[in-house]
Amino acid sequence: MAIIERPSTEIAVAGGATVGVKPSEALGVFKRPAASNSWRDWIVTVDHKKLGIMYGVAAFAFFIIGGVEALLIRLQLMGPDGKVLSADQYNQMFTMHATTMVFLFVMPMVSAFANYFIPLQIGARDVAFPRINAFGFWCWLFGGIFLNTSWFLGGAADGGWFMYAPNSSTLFSPSHGVDFWVLGLQITGIASLTGAINLIVTVLNMRAPGMKLMRMPIFTWMALVVQFLLLFAMPVITVALFLLSFQRTFDATFFDVAAGADPLLWQHLFWIFGHPEVYILILPSFGIVSEVIPVFSKKPLFGYPIVAMSGAAIGFVGWGVWAHHMFASGLGPVSVAVFSMATMAIAVPTGVKIVNWVMTMWGGKLKFSVAMLFAIGLVVQFTIGGLSGVTHSVAPSDTQQTDTYYIVAHFHYVLFGGAIFGLFAGFYYWWPKMFRKQLNEGLGQWNFWLMVIGMNMTFGPMHILGLQGQPRRMGVWTEARAGEGFFNIGFWNMIASIGSLILAVGVLLFIINIVYTHKSKRVPIAPLDPWDARSLEWMTSSPPAEHNFDAIPAINHLDEFFHRKYAEDPTTHEIKQVATAEEVLADMNAHPDEHIHMPSRSYWPILVALALPIICYGLIYNRLLMAVGAAFLLLTMFGWAMEPSTAPDDDFDPPAPSEGGGHTKELAPLG
Amino acid sequence: MNNPRRRRVLTLAGIAAGLLTLAGCAKDAPQDTWQPAGPNAEMIDNLQQPVFLVAGIVGVIVMAAVAWAVFRYRDRGQAIPEQTHGKPAIEITLTIIPVLILIGVAIPTTSTIFDLAKTDDTEMVINVTGQQWWWEYDYPAIGDNADKYGLSQPIVTSGQLVIPENTKVLLRVTSRDVIHSYWIPKLNGKKDGVPGRVHLLRLEGSKPGIYAGQCTEFCGLSHSYMRMETIVLKRADFDVWVANQLAPYESPAEGTLAKEGESLYIQQCSRCHQVNGLADAEGNLIVSAPEQYVVSGAAPNLTNLMTRITFAGASWDLLTQQCRDDVWKASANEFGAKYLSGVSADCLNQKDLREWLRNSPEKKPMYVDPTKLQETNGKYRGMPALGLTEDQIDALVAYLLERK
Repeated sequence: MAIIERPSTEIAVAGGATVGVKPSEALGVFKRPAASNSWRDWIVTVDHKKLGIMYGVAAFAFFIIGGVEALLIRLQLMGPDGKVLSADQYNQMFTMHATTMVFLFVMPMVSAFANYFIPLQIGARDVAFPRINAFGFWCWLFGGIFLNTSWFLGGAADGGWFMYAPNSSTLFSPSHGVDFWVLGLQITGIASLTGAINLIVTVLNMRAPGMKLMRMPIFTWMALVVQFLLLFAMPVITVALFLLSFQRTFDATFFDVAAGADPLLWQHLFWIFGHPEVYILILPSFGIVSEVIPVFSKKPLFGYPIVAMSGAAIGFVGWGVWAHHMFASGLGPVSVAVFSMATMAIAVPTGVKIVNWVMTMWGGKLKFSVAMLFAIGLVVQFTIGGLSGVTHSVAPSDTQQTDTYYIVAHFHYVLFGGAIFGLFAGFYYWWPKMFRKQLNEGLGQWNFWLMVIGMNMTFGPMHILGLQGQPRRMGVWTEARAGEGFFNIGFWNMIASIGSLILAVGVLLFIINIVYTHKSKRVPIAPLDPWDARSLEWMTSSPPAEHNFDAIPAINHLDEFFHRKYAEDPTTHEIKQVATAEEVLADMNAHPDEHIHMPSRSYWPILVALALPIICYGLIYNRLLMAVGAAFLLLTMFGWAMEPSTAPDDDFDPPAPSEGGGHTKELAPLG
Repeated sequence: MNNPRRRRVLTLAGIAAGLLTLAGCAKDAPQDTWQPAGPNAEMIDNLQQPVFLVAGIVGVIVMAAVAWAVFRYRDRGQAIPEQTHGKPAIEITLTIIPVLILIGVAIPTTSTIFDLAKTDDTEMVINVTGQQWWWEYDYPAIGDNADKYGLSQPIVTSGQLVIPENTKVLLRVTSRDVIHSYWIPKLNGKKDGVPGRVHLLRLEGSKPGIYAGQCTEFCGLSHSYMRMETIVLKRADFDVWVANQLAPYESPAEGTLAKEGESLYIQQCSRCHQVNGLADAEGNLIVSAPEQYVVSGAAPNLTNLMTRITFAGASWDLLTQQCRDDVWKASANEFGAKYLSGVSADCLNQKDLREWLRNSPEKKPMYVDPTKLQETNGKYRGMPALGLTEDQIDALVAYLLERK
């Protein structure tokens, strides 16, 4: 068993002069909280795995909220002249549906997986900045809650998730909904930015010995590309949101046409963020299925370097296609032609990935676990979404399709059929790693097939609706424009609405599966390596101890775990199992690391994050409240800065300063 | 497990193929993007049909490959496969093929983009202005408009854009408030009307008829109720239409209900809604001033309301169902005469028009609640309820019926 230590208190604390202070001597409020098993531990934790689970649980709650919003939209559009929602409510509903699904479900669910699995996949004990990591989570959660309180405070934002100027100004959107939207996204944006920096530093600096970049698991690769996209995309939307905030709160005129502004400025800013954002949503799921498909095909990922590099290529070219959201906005023909071609170009690295997934399965030994089914679901449905994407890279064709249901069909195939199916593959694949139990495969089958049927029934007909000319974002459609015959809009709207209910039942089955798995006494503890996996996160206990690995492994191969379990017979070239997962683990843990340093818990991340919504409520309602929030922010930041670097664990004595920590095998994470 | 998967793949392929072959057979779909009725839309259609076809074929091939892999390589107890990390030849081939396909798509795409942007052979210019939640059309009396098409005076109308057949019409699209988008699917793709900018969109209809469209850029509360039509008329019919629009104002005969309606109109409506030639009791021409009451600064010109067959952002018919079908479903030859006959007393859709006059914001959501107009300094976004009595509505309807 490894000996776990907290980092020594060698840096200056409270006053700057003291070196090597015993944590127990630090002043009252500045003491770091000790480890405990109560719920309080979740509030003060800086453990990347706990934060990952918290991201996951909260994001799933927002998924349900966003899903209910979607169901209300489909109920409203089920028949002509819908009466379920008023025009105002409908506009709020589709604005918040998109905002919730993008910013409060898919992005944080990706954070959940990235937080939990990147350190495990690269053989690290935590992320580089654990307190910042906790701070990011609380910012995101408080931002999301803040955003949703607008429902009860005069109505949510009603300008669409793209929030085009000048419709977003106080003149055209007089409720506080847009203010909540702008400020809420600013707060959640902090999480994306800090998370990006944190994970980039983690991946670049904290990989296990021998893990070259080209030996990294592909999920970590894709997540790394995404963090770079976030690092550069979030500042753009932050600037745009600040401009809008200043316009709405302080009467600035950035988007005021009467004052000489050009409203297209907002569109360019929004889509320079918004298009990379699309890849931010989909690439992690590409990473997940690139883990899942090889495991259940018993083959390495076909063309691993090409998949990694095409991910990076998408990350670059993704910056040069934003104006394809604006083909109808009045750009000149030269710009339109250039962005049209750039958009076609990005189809190539995307197509390469699909080819590689199919080629991975080709010649394999396929096992259709639910995780694998969801991964294949992604391959098929993303292909449909990708091909409809190619049809609107053809700009003249796009001027017919844009802002119709054809686009809605396209991006739901990409984001629901792609990104969300990928996340579900991840749920089923990594569940036993995180929670020691496998989700029920039988219920999972039902979960999968109902989601496939529901998804295709909901979004498949939208191709027809769009080509028949039904525009998006309309709270009502009319019989007079519905047409007749097999392709009339009424019939297909009805089918889509019924499909959405089936889809909802499919998602509900996932929740039932979770409850069943964890409540039923008949579900056994999962084996250590239930899927015969290939990568490092499976080379430790389930769930991993706080310090992840008793001994940090040395990496000699891509798919290190597989290579420790299997070897090729030099004469027959047959692949033979040479060790079980348990044997690999026992072998590895025969020589555990000594003096493992883990970061201490902290009160401050949640407190600093809590100050931000207070400031934002103040901005909207009362400047005095804003001042209170700002004071709270300063105080909590001071507290953070003054905090000793270690908890007052009774059994801990800091090493003498002369030893200088040189005996440790690994640097303590900072932050 | 494999069979349902194959069936699903086949179903999906079937849907794709079905979409390709059957969408062209859609009947009476007023906004079908695959039924072009003019050269611009045809240009787009000629480009997109092969693209849809290629995309469909590629999709079927990928799905067939997935289905085959799923069927052929399912775990039947075979040995653990070779741990191959890829074959560069396959990778390169399967990268080059899509590159070639996309180059094949890119070339005609680029030439079509430039063809559609052509404006140097324009024959008629119309200014199209969006505002919450209707379109205004202004035919300037300049150049060819005046010389060749008899527009001795500008015409200002709304909702229904009337253009002559086989004429290259250039729309100069803009907006008075938020961004809107002008879209008549059977005639061309869409183009945003952005405040402070003028965007050009070419329309040309090759067959007389009524072509439906809808604002496609989200423009706030009543975005769903911002519709429009483009009417294509034979040249001779178009000349009749121009003459109708420019005909001098005729006041209703003394003592009629319509005459009562006129004074009510002057009292209640003329502040915002212009009727050209309408004069007050002293004989002074009345010029409406919607800029004082409405955020966008405009309200539909009602001089020839009953020559149009829809109202309030083309959201409701001025014709009863039967008379409506008679016009909308008329053959190309008969269409002009039927459209030009406008709205008669027998054909008037009393129900919707009266509901509108009774309480317009209830019918079409608009920002007219006086307690919520601080941001706009009391100006409306839309038309407020006027609190008219049923008798007043009778008189107004009688007056409006004569606006032809």
